[in-house]
Parts: sequence; structure tokens; C-alpha cells
Amino acid sequence: MKKSSIFGLIVIAIAIAVVISTYSNSSTYGSFNDAKNTSSELHIIGHLDKQKALFYDAAKDANYFAFYMKDKQGEECKVIFTGTKPQDFERSEQIVLTGQMEGKEFHASKILMKCPSKYTQDKVEITEFKAKRANI
Amino acid sequence: MDTAFKGEHLLPGQLGQFFVILAFGSALLSTISYYFATTSNNQLDDSWKRIARFSFYTNTLSVVGIGTCLFYIIYTHLFEYHYAWEHSSKTLPVYYIISSYWEGQEGSFWLWGFWQAVLGNILIWKARSWEKPVMTIVSLSQVLLSSMLIGIELFGTRVGSSPFILLRDAIDLKSSAPIFAARPELYKNYLTYITDGNGLNPLLQNYWMVIHPPTLFLGFASMVVPFAYAIAGLWQKRYKEWVKPAISYSLFAVMVLGTGVIMGSFWAYESLNFGGFWAWDPVENAALIPWLTLIGAVHVLVVYKNTGHAYFTATFLVLISFILVLYASFLTRSGILGDTSVHAFTDLGMFWHLVVDVVIFLAISIGLIVTRWKELPISKKEEETYSREFWMFVGSVFLALSCLQLIIVTSIPVWNAVFKTNIAPPNNPVTLYNVFQAGFAVVVTLLAGFTQFLKYKKTDTTRFYITALVYFVFAALITALAVYVSGVYHLHVVFTLVMLGAVYSVLANAKILAEAFKGKIKLAGSAVAHIGFGLILVGAVIAAGTSKVVSLNATGEQYSAEFAKRNDPKENILLYKNQPTKMGDYMVTYVGDSLSMPNHYFKVDYKLMDADGKVKEEFMLRPNSQANRKMGLVSSPDTKHYLFHDLYTHVTMAPLKFDDEKQGEEAHSEANDDQNYEAPISHEVAVGDTIRFREGYMVLKALNKKVQVENIPISAKDVAVGAQLEVVSHGKTYQAEPVYMIKNGSAFDFARKVEDAGLKLRFSKIIPEKGRQEITVYQQPESKKAYIVMKAIRFPYINFFWSGTIIMVIGFLLSIFRRNKELKTE
Repeated sequence: MKKSSIFGLIVIAIAIAVVISTYSNSSTYGSFNDAKNTSSELHIIGHLDKQKALFYDAAKDANYFAFYMKDKQGEECKVIFTGTKPQDFERSEQIVLTGQMEGKEFHASKILMKCPSKYTQDKVEITEFKAKRANI
Repeated sequence: MDTAFKGEHLLPGQLGQFFVILAFGSALLSTISYYFATTSNNQLDDSWKRIARFSFYTNTLSVVGIGTCLFYIIYTHLFEYHYAWEHSSKTLPVYYIISSYWEGQEGSFWLWGFWQAVLGNILIWKARSWEKPVMTIVSLSQVLLSSMLIGIELFGTRVGSSPFILLRDAIDLKSSAPIFAARPELYKNYLTYITDGNGLNPLLQNYWMVIHPPTLFLGFASMVVPFAYAIAGLWQKRYKEWVKPAISYSLFAVMVLGTGVIMGSFWAYESLNFGGFWAWDPVENAALIPWLTLIGAVHVLVVYKNTGHAYFTATFLVLISFILVLYASFLTRSGILGDTSVHAFTDLGMFWHLVVDVVIFLAISIGLIVTRWKELPISKKEEETYSREFWMFVGSVFLALSCLQLIIVTSIPVWNAVFKTNIAPPNNPVTLYNVFQAGFAVVVTLLAGFTQFLKYKKTDTTRFYITALVYFVFAALITALAVYVSGVYHLHVVFTLVMLGAVYSVLANAKILAEAFKGKIKLAGSAVAHIGFGLILVGAVIAAGTSKVVSLNATGEQYSAEFAKRNDPKENILLYKNQPTKMGDYMVTYVGDSLSMPNHYFKVDYKLMDADGKVKEEFMLRPNSQANRKMGLVSSPDTKHYLFHDLYTHVTMAPLKFDDEKQGEEAHSEANDDQNYEAPISHEVAVGDTIRFREGYMVLKALNKKVQVENIPISAKDVAVGAQLEVVSHGKTYQAEPVYMIKNGSAFDFARKVEDAGLKLRFSKIIPEKGRQEITVYQQPESKKAYIVMKAIRFPYINFFWSGTIIMVIGFLLSIFRRNKELKTE
């Protein structure tokens, strides 16, 4: 066999390995319900339940943060994150968690939150000047 | 829209919009004219060329015009324009106005277009016989870039996004501000209600953000030049000639893009708090991917120039590099990355526009390759195994393969959109990327090493084996030492191999550099660039691989047994004000704050003790946060740089108040102030007595009978006594003098606070019969005391990474000089 053909085969083999490894390393999106039935890590998309309190007290443990999240199916679950409360967490509109169930609590290893308003605000902040109204 | 709005300045916007249209039109005309100039049979008639040049100059002027109008709008705070309102504010200093200028997508497209116009002019000046075909492609790319800024409705869809859109057109003011709905007559005066813009994202308020985007976009823009030469070579059937100028321009593109990418990495390291210099974020990958393919392209271009081999690979890599630039801008700007990236841009409704951009250039490339396939000078002969060209070729293919991995993983959301699947990105993308990319890096660096000992065409085998092996043994020894000292051997074995490859490549190229000094000066450029690349890898592996979180929290209370069992690395440390805490080798104390609006700096004192407890070194770091109502709490790190490591710290949590909350605070605090303290404890003491409290002690030094309390006149009948207290807490001494007073027959007392010690002291009673005084001590509970939560990371040998970059850029520069000289001498 020619040298270039051997090299070509090696290249193809590596390319296939890359595709397979990507697929096998990829995770799946799921719900809290799915998380209960599996022991592997999942991505869960949902939003913060703003009715329930967040728990973070730096004085007690700077690395413990707990909150309640509703997933897309509307199921709610307590989430525990080992780390500080992400800045601006209350304002998040969507959260993507990576992690797994531990008993009745979901232990997140990663939190990705979206605060679209951070960059593009579609609401104008209006400041009122009462004095100026007289001139209109 | 017949309402006359008061106070709007419409002229700059209309002028700007005129320039946008003119830029698009002139670029289109230039493309068409250059096309006909290229295909015209009568090469003596250069009327097409004159039109083409004229319209390209017009395009350049229009692009400058757009920039001027936009700058004027932002600089003079014309918030009637959406772009100015969204990206700037009045308080922004001038140099950050420049960065607000390209914060938005429109501004960054403009920047790209501007550089492309500059490059076009250079090509008109320099390219000679290549001008017509090359400029056809450059102009076409300019057409597409200009079209991104048009922002007009066409067949019911908006094409592009103009930076000159008015705020009232971009946003439905009536629905977002109830006052206009209630009183429509106010609407025409809406501008009087808009007093300030949104401001620039605090993270971008950094001097690197002034210089990083222009560099990066110059890099992206210059990728079009080698692409245009490759297309021109195919089109004009000048298969051999295009290579030489393409090498120079490719080197330039690679140098600038590389610098831009590392600048971004330095910015992230210095001012973002994700704790490092590289995170494999899709936005970073998007810039890295075309860089890697073009690096590969440079190598095969050189191979083709010297030996005639690898023509197809060279063309392919040059073409794909530019297409990947376009693909990268599709990835980051179309919004498709959605929930996988923290900093992908938002969707501006240009999804299909960006797709079309990629498809047009892809179609041109494929079309030309297919039609010219039979004529392509693809060598039938195999390269020799012991030849430089063969292994350079192998290395380039491996660079391309490493890109393939980056592309496939980064594009997972694209696969989902195309194949309607629902795959989530890897749980641990960083490890995945690190291991894979390290694997490719091993091969590439080893090749960059031993290929130096090979010659083009054919090499003496024995000599090659001896030199290659000797250097390999040396490299292995050095690597073994480095890996042992730095602790890299704890990591995945592939990282040790990367170290080996990188060290080998540095050594082999050092040999070439030494020869260059002896006279073979031509070789200096590539040797220096390879050394730089090797050092970058060494720095990256050690710094990222053996970085250690120093702020391990040893005291944090556990919440549940289960929690403690899992005990993830607890990487944040809680620092109470003025309470020294041990953190690694350091004794750290949060000693105070300083405000320089909008930044809130936390002063953290570091003491390094030696064995006897003496202070060996003391320094202060000032990580900062901004508590901005619109953007939230944003932290920036502060880093202590040593020659061989960095200590990187940032505040992850602090009870900061928003700017506007600070004002209201003073007024109502007095009333329920005592709530901030634990139940008071009273002590009966005489002068000289000591009172102990949780964090120190105080001594009643004396009683001051001449004490004055602001604005309160003391008559002969009244009594006012101050208790002079010396408070010692955590090794610091404070003075406090609470006052007891009898005025007009009733008793008052004036408490004094020692904020830093968390104390409030009252002189609450005088007990004459005992000759004693009652001092009431209020202590702040832990949770009410000022604190910060901080994370500190030690990055060893990170300076290899930065200095390697500088060395590599110098290497590129030397190579460009060399190639340009070759161009001129022939």
C-alpha cells in the first residue's frame, strides 16, 4: 500500500474517533423526573421559582447555595449548588443545570443562567421630571 | 410617523444611513466592475478597472463616513439612537466610548468592514497583475459585510441591522413606559424622559477591550486576502504564482489573529472572573479554529512553493480557513448557541443572512475546485519519507484534524438544529477539549521538532536519526525534571507528552536559531515562531493543569452529613473585616474598602510568614466589584504577579448595596440600629479596668469632663462626661469616647461606634456611690459584620504562556520580512 493511502486511512480513523467520542461524551437534556431514574449527569433547563426563598448565608458556609427550580414540565425540585450564589441569580430568566439527583435534592455541578436583560434591555427606564411638565 | 418629536438630532443618523447604502452600492459596483475587468478579453481597455477602483475608494470613504457618524452619535450622547442608548452612557470616559462603539454586533461588523476596506486599498496599491481577480473577491466580501448594516425591509424581512435605528423605532416606547400610554401628548417629548443610556457592560470597561477587538477583527478581515488569492489562482489558472503573495498575507493574518486571540485571553484573565485564561467557550473556539487551519495552510503553502507537492491541501486549507471565519461569525452572531454559551451574541434576526454569507463563499470555492479539478497540479509522485515536505504535510493535516474536533463539539447546537436531535453539550467540555487538543498538540509539536532536522526532497537517514534522537533524549530529561517539579505528572499522561513535545520543539528550533545566527538568517523566523509556540504550550499546560485553589475553606460549617461526604472542593473563603484568616501560606485580612465609582474595591492584605512567624512579605490586592442596578453585581479579579507564578483573586460574593440604595440608607438607619447588634452587655468598671469582648478587649483610660458634643451647649448645671476607651481588636487599637450627659435634669448618652471592630459602645450610667461607670457593649453578630467571600487561585509559570506569545509574534514578523524580500527579489 502507498504511504499516502496509509496516512489517509489514519486520518479517516481519527476523524471517526472524534465523531464517536463527541457523541459518547455528549449529555442529554432532561427533566427532574428523568434525573430520578438515572445515575448519570443530566442537563436540565428550567426557571427559578421566585416564590420560594433562596438559601445562601456566607457566614455559615460560603459554599452552600440552595434554591428551588421548576423544569420545563413544571416539576419543582430543590437544587443544591456547592459554591457561591451566582451574581444576579434572582434576575435570571432561564437556568440550565448540569448535575444529578441525590435523594430528593438535585446537586448541580454547573449552573448556566440567562439574564437576557443584562445585555439587551427592551424596556426603557423612564425618569420623571415633574417640574418640566408645566412647560408642555 | 407624523408626530414631530422634540429635541431629536436626525441629521447624523440620516447621513450615516446614506453612507450605509452608499457603502453597499459601491461595493456591489466594485465587485461587478472587477469581475468584468478580470474576464474582459481586451486587456488594454482598463475602463472597468477604473470604475472598479473608483467605486472601491467610494466604499472606503463611506465606511469611514459610517464610522464618523456613529462615533459622533455616541460621543455626543444622542440617545434618540438605539445604538448609543443601548451601549453607552454619559458617565463613560472617552476611551470606553471607543469600546462601547464595538460592543454591539453592528459596530463589530463595521470594524470588520473598515479593516477589509483598508486591506483592499493596500491590494489595489500592491497586487499589480493580481488586482482584478483578487479584488473581485475582496469586494464581494465587502458587499456582504455592508449588507449586514443596511437594516431595511426587503420582501417583508429586515436585511441586516443598522446602527442608526432610532430608539423609538427599535423599542415600543408606548408599551414599555406607561406614562406615554396614559398621556399620549407627552410622547413627542419622549427625549426629555430619556436622560441616560444603558451604559457599557462593566466587564468591557477595560483597556484591553479598547485594543482587543480591533486586533481580532483585523485578523479576521485579513483572512480574506489569502482566500482571494487562492480563488484567483484557480480562476485565472495561475496555479503556481498565487502561492508566494498568499504566504505573506497568510503569515500576516495568522500573526494578527493570534495576537488578537491571546489579547482576549489576557483580558479574560485580568478582568473576568471565570478563573483562568482559556475556557474553550464557543466564542473563543470560533476565533481559534480558523487560526489553526490557516497555520496549517501556511505550512503546506511553503511545501508547495518549495517542492510542488501538496497543492490541493494548500488550496483547501486556505479556502476553508476563510469559510470557517464566516462560519464562526454565524455561530457566535446568529444566536444558535443559545443555552450553551454564556457570551454568545443575541439574535439580531440575521440567521439566514449569515447562512447565506457562508454558503456563497463555500459555493464559489467548491464550484471552482470542481471545474478546475482535472487541471490542478496535483503531483503524482509520492513525497519521500525522509523529507521535510512529507512531515510538514502530516503536521498540517493534524492541525486540521484538531480543528475538526473543535468544530464538531462546538457545533452541537447546529447539529441539533439540522438533524432535529436534542443532544446536550458534554458535561465536562473542558476536560474533553483539553485531552483531545493535547493529543493533537503532542503530534504537532513532535513534528515541529524533528522536521527541523530534515531537508526538502531527501535527507541523509543516519544523520537525521542521530540528531533527532540526541535532541529527543535531552528533551526527555528536561521534561522529566519540569514535570516532576511542577507536578504535571499528577495529570492525565497526555499532558506530560505535550510537555515533552513542546520542549522537544523548543530545543530543535533553538538549534536552528543558533544556525541562523551563524549566517542562515532566513531560518530565524520559523525557528523563533516555533519556539514561541512551544513555550505557549508549556505555559498553558503547567498554569492550567497545576493551578491550585488557595482559598480552600477549612472552617465552613457543614449542612448535612451527606453534604459533607461529597464535600466538593470548597473553594471560597469567607473573610470578615479585620479578622485575619489563614489561606494557604498567607495570612489574609480584609481591611477595608475604597470606592471609585462605579467600582467598589476591597482591600485585602496578604502577609507571608516564615517559620518563626515573622512577616516575609506583605502586599495588598484590590479585587473589585460593581454593584450596578442595570447589570447586577460584577466582579473583576486582582492578581499579584511573580516571575514564576501569579496569585489570582476575585470576590465571589459581597453584601454590596446598589448605588441607589446607598443614598437612602443613612436616613432610616438610626431608628433600628440596635437590631444590627447582639443583646448588649453592661459592665461596671472603674478607670483602668479592662472589659473583654469576643474579639478583643478595651480599657477605660480616663474620664473626660470637658467633653463636647456637637452643637449641644453645656450650661453650668449640666453634666457631660466622656469615657475614654482604648479598644484592641485583632492586634489593632482604636479610640472611642462615648458620652454620658445630664441636661436640664434628664440623662442622655451618646453612643460611639467602632465600625472596624463591629462594636457600639454606650456610656450608660454613672454610679457615684460605687465610684464606677457602666459601659454597655454592643457587638455585631458575625452575619451582620462586613465580609467578602473570595476565591484565590495560584497559576504557576503562566509567564511562559504570555512570553511565548510575544516570541511567536516576533517569529511571524521575521517570516513576513523574509517572504516579502523573496517576493521582491524575484
